[in-house]
Amino acid sequence: MHNDLFSNPIFNFLAVTIVLALPLLLGAMGGLTSERSGVINIGLEGMMLIAACACSLAGQKHGPIAGLAAGIFAAIILALLHWLMTQVYRIDHVISGMAINAFGAGGSNFLFNRFYDTTQSASSPMLPIWIYKWIAFLVPIGMWIYLKKTRGGLHLMAVGNDPDKARLVGIQPLKVRFVALLATGIFTGLGGVALVTDTGIFTDDMTAGKGYIALAALILGGWRPIPAMLACIGFAFFSALRLQLEGNQHLPQIPSEAWSSIPYLVTIIALAGLLGKTKAPAGLGKP
Amino acid sequence: MNWRLVALIVGSLALLAGAVMMAGASPAVALSTLFKGSLGSPQAISGTLRESTPLLIAGLAVFLSLRAGLFNIGVEGQLIVGACACSVIALRFPGPIGIILGTLGAMIAGALWALPAALIKAYRNGHEVITTIMLNNIAGYFTGYLVAGPIRAPGQQNTTTADITPSTHLPNVFNNGPLTVNIGIFVGIVLAILAALWLKRTVAGYELQTVGANSTAAKLAGIRTERVIVKAMLASGAIAGLGGAIQVLAYEGRFYLGFSPGYGFDGLGIALLAGGSAYGVIPAGFLFGVLAKGGVSLGIQQIPKGITVVVLGMAILIAAAIRYRKVKTVA
Repeated sequence: MHNDLFSNPIFNFLAVTIVLALPLLLGAMGGLTSERSGVINIGLEGMMLIAACACSLAGQKHGPIAGLAAGIFAAIILALLHWLMTQVYRIDHVISGMAINAFGAGGSNFLFNRFYDTTQSASSPMLPIWIYKWIAFLVPIGMWIYLKKTRGGLHLMAVGNDPDKARLVGIQPLKVRFVALLATGIFTGLGGVALVTDTGIFTDDMTAGKGYIALAALILGGWRPIPAMLACIGFAFFSALRLQLEGNQHLPQIPSEAWSSIPYLVTIIALAGLLGKTKAPAGLGKP
Repeated sequence: MNWRLVALIVGSLALLAGAVMMAGASPAVALSTLFKGSLGSPQAISGTLRESTPLLIAGLAVFLSLRAGLFNIGVEGQLIVGACACSVIALRFPGPIGIILGTLGAMIAGALWALPAALIKAYRNGHEVITTIMLNNIAGYFTGYLVAGPIRAPGQQNTTTADITPSTHLPNVFNNGPLTVNIGIFVGIVLAILAALWLKRTVAGYELQTVGANSTAAKLAGIRTERVIVKAMLASGAIAGLGGAIQVLAYEGRFYLGFSPGYGFDGLGIALLAGGSAYGVIPAGFLFGVLAKGGVSLGIQQIPKGITVVVLGMAILIAAAIRYRKVKTVA
């Protein structure tokens, strides 16, 4: 009975959609905490990449729990570096984000080639992926409640909307953003770990733009957790559909590149204001 | 002296030295390998100049947008779209006419690829960083599709176009045995000088920098900021496209999947290092060329090549920190 249910093509399709959505969802939530606090974050890609690499390496040596911890830790380091550069050194958020992506891409290549033990089995032991499914779908709901209903969430939004006014009422943006970027590190770390859990092994540039798609979903969702979650699921749905339809003889052949471009195109159209107004946090990028 | 800056530089260098030692090499050896591989022989210098060419032009493209207060992260996409267009045109029209048409086509393609970002920034206030990131990804998929199918060389296993004929290549200026220098690098240098003069000496250049310095003030002074933003973005895209064309016509001779190893990204670092003047793009581009060429020698020395990307990231952070060094931290 159990097996029959999951061999059903529709269930299979849904399962694929959910697995594809995991890194997007976690990445987008990482972007949410950062951008809601006013810190522009185009470095999600690099954070997820370094997390996937660290998880694969530590998982091979010390088992799945260590892999998870190392992945989150690595992403936190990059996230807090972003905090340091944008808040203490006060450099432009976009520049710092580009550098974070460079550290993610270059650092993961360096570390993996240096430390991966090729004599051992190809894939590292991982925790079962259902854990990340629960986390990925509970985090957006949690974030929604947090932003709406708690003092910390309101402080976060206040800082993101107008850091100067927040200062006047005694909130310290520096501290709020530290916590926000800590959360960004945890979420993007989980995203990278979920990604490598699915494949079992790190490969160069394995995020392949997922960090940017997560950012796109965040923007498309108007920087709100639940709509961003829906955008992630929508993008994952199209990816899954592509995998399903590719090579089907009866359908007109759409190049896979066209499918892959959909999230990016939709985001541009949304930014052009053709899908109604989305409102960015007003204090985005402000000191 | 600014202690924050010192801490950043010392920290970066320590981290790098640690990484190199972790890879089982001594930092001194790594450094000498880097310089020997990039400047140690006529061949190495030829290679460095070759690497510097697209970097210089890409850096100039980013620099121009930066002067207008825009982050053209899309140079990467504009460059590959330009290179793709150029190779298609140059294959169709061999000879000098192909060089001219190919270059023009590449500049138009690059500018067109920047157009959506320009319009959305000017008239919808959508952040150009986001749109250009999206456009980069679309450019990658689009050219990837073209080179895998419609424009792939007949009978080719790899995803590449055919080679352009030798008569369509840009000529070498020096061809002295191991030292070969293509005219491409001089195109880049001349372009940087022209840009510097244009920014300094013309009304349009002045307007562009005024918008970059303070767009509200520019608006109040009667400058039509929207138009300046669109023009700056288009010019930046055209230069990026030109960079792609030069890379095809001077060195590569074809377009293929994975054409750019991240020129657009390096361009941001170069533009930041360049400081306030377009002349600065020339030494900054050369420095990045040294890193790119020397990085190849490091790779041969068993140090994973990712380390050079990390170095570039650090260079970007340090350059930016120098630029913003007078800004105080606030709680």
